Amino acid sequence: MVRFKHRYLLCEIVSEDPRCRQCIDERAVGAAAKEAVARTHGDYGLACCSISFTVKYLNAYTGIVLLRCRKDFYRLLWSALPFITYLENRNQRYSCFFNTLHVGGTIRTCQKFLVQYNRKQLLLLLHNCTSEEERQSIQKSLLSCCLKEVEEEQSQSGDEEDDCAETD
Amino acid sequence: IGPTKLTICLPFLVGYSTVAINHVIDFKEKKQEIVKPISPSELFPSLPIVQGKSKPIKIVTRLTLVVSDPSHCNVLRSTSTNIRLYDIIAVFPKTEKLFHVACTNLDVDLICINVTEKLPFYFRRPPVNMAIDRGIYFELLYTPAIKDSTMRRYTISNALSLMQICKGKNIIISSAAERPLELRGPYDVANLGLLFGLSESDAKAAISTNCRAVLLHGETRKTAFGVVYTKKTPRASEEEGVLPVRKKAKTEV
Repeated sequence: MVRFKHRYLLCEIVSEDPRCRQCIDERAVGAAAKEAVARTHGDYGLACCSISFTVKYLNAYTGIVLLRCRKDFYRLLWSALPFITYLENRNQRYSCFFNTLHVGGTIRTCQKFLVQYNRKQLLLLLHNCTSEEERQSIQKSLLSCCLKEVEEEQSQSGDEEDDCAETD
Repeated sequence: IGPTKLTICLPFLVGYSTVAINHVIDFKEKKQEIVKPISPSELFPSLPIVQGKSKPIKIVTRLTLVVSDPSHCNVLRSTSTNIRLYDIIAVFPKTEKLFHVACTNLDVDLICINVTEKLPFYFRRPPVNMAIDRGIYFELLYTPAIKDSTMRRYTISNALSLMQICKGKNIIISSAAERPLELRGPYDVANLGLLFGLSESDAKAAISTNCRAVLLHGETRKTAFGVVYTKKTPRASEEEGVLPVRKKAKTEV
């Protein structure tokens, strides 16, 4: 099978400055990553990593970024990510750092991991939140995502039972 | 206290479960007294919880001695009480003789390897092997590499020369972060280990199992001297105090 294999790096951008979230966009993140690779691995590294390099998914509210690169060169990109210290957008610099959460071969595996990670983050937020309204809204969203999971499982087992009944 | 509090909280958000607060003592200045470590209860009224597990975080204290003279090492032998309060003791040798002495005789847990300048001495195999046998770990810092380009070159060259001698054993990678933004997650730090010449399993061990071994080494060093430290179950601490003494006797014989 001739197919180009990729690696998808799931990262979280952590920053102290709350305004940094507004300036996260695909071009800034891509430029920061390429500049870090150029500084760390030189011209060879930059050339290798930019073969099939894109920012696939970006969530400015949570700071989650999904980067894609070729499977042969993902280590070069991954080892350059710790050296990113700031994001630059419209001549404004915001200092931040990238925290790698997961490396996957397909977008679907990264998505599954992200769903589980967000659930854990919701629990943490519930623990740390201060006002009563925030607490109730977080509890509601937690309940809704847990109930959804239970419903999916029930519908799957219901389908299996129907199939068994028909064959019998 | 504000920025330091955030610096200490951030590792737990990112995925670490233990943090060591470091006090550096430099002996070039005259009359440096060893200060008492800040106890964690002064910083936090209630300890936050580790992400992912339900246990509270652990904060340990650590002392780093910058030695450039053999007479500075006498501090370790002296029975001043303040040294015993620290969980981990690290030494930062500046000359080859001191490196040799630290590997063979001194009672420390960690030896810091200078990453910010060209090493004045080369590593030799005998003292490094003796340190590995005694259970002493070598420490590499990664924060200067993030800040500055020339320091990055020195970090990588010193780290590679260490790797060639010790074959990747007994290494830990740590950050000397003074601000919360100089910290990196555990996955990224393991990757930096790959840059330094470690194999993949060694790099992961350098941030997980080796660090735990250093903490255990510090604990056995504390109890073997018979210093009383209160624990919830007093019988357990007595047994712990007895075992390491026996182990030491066996190796001497």
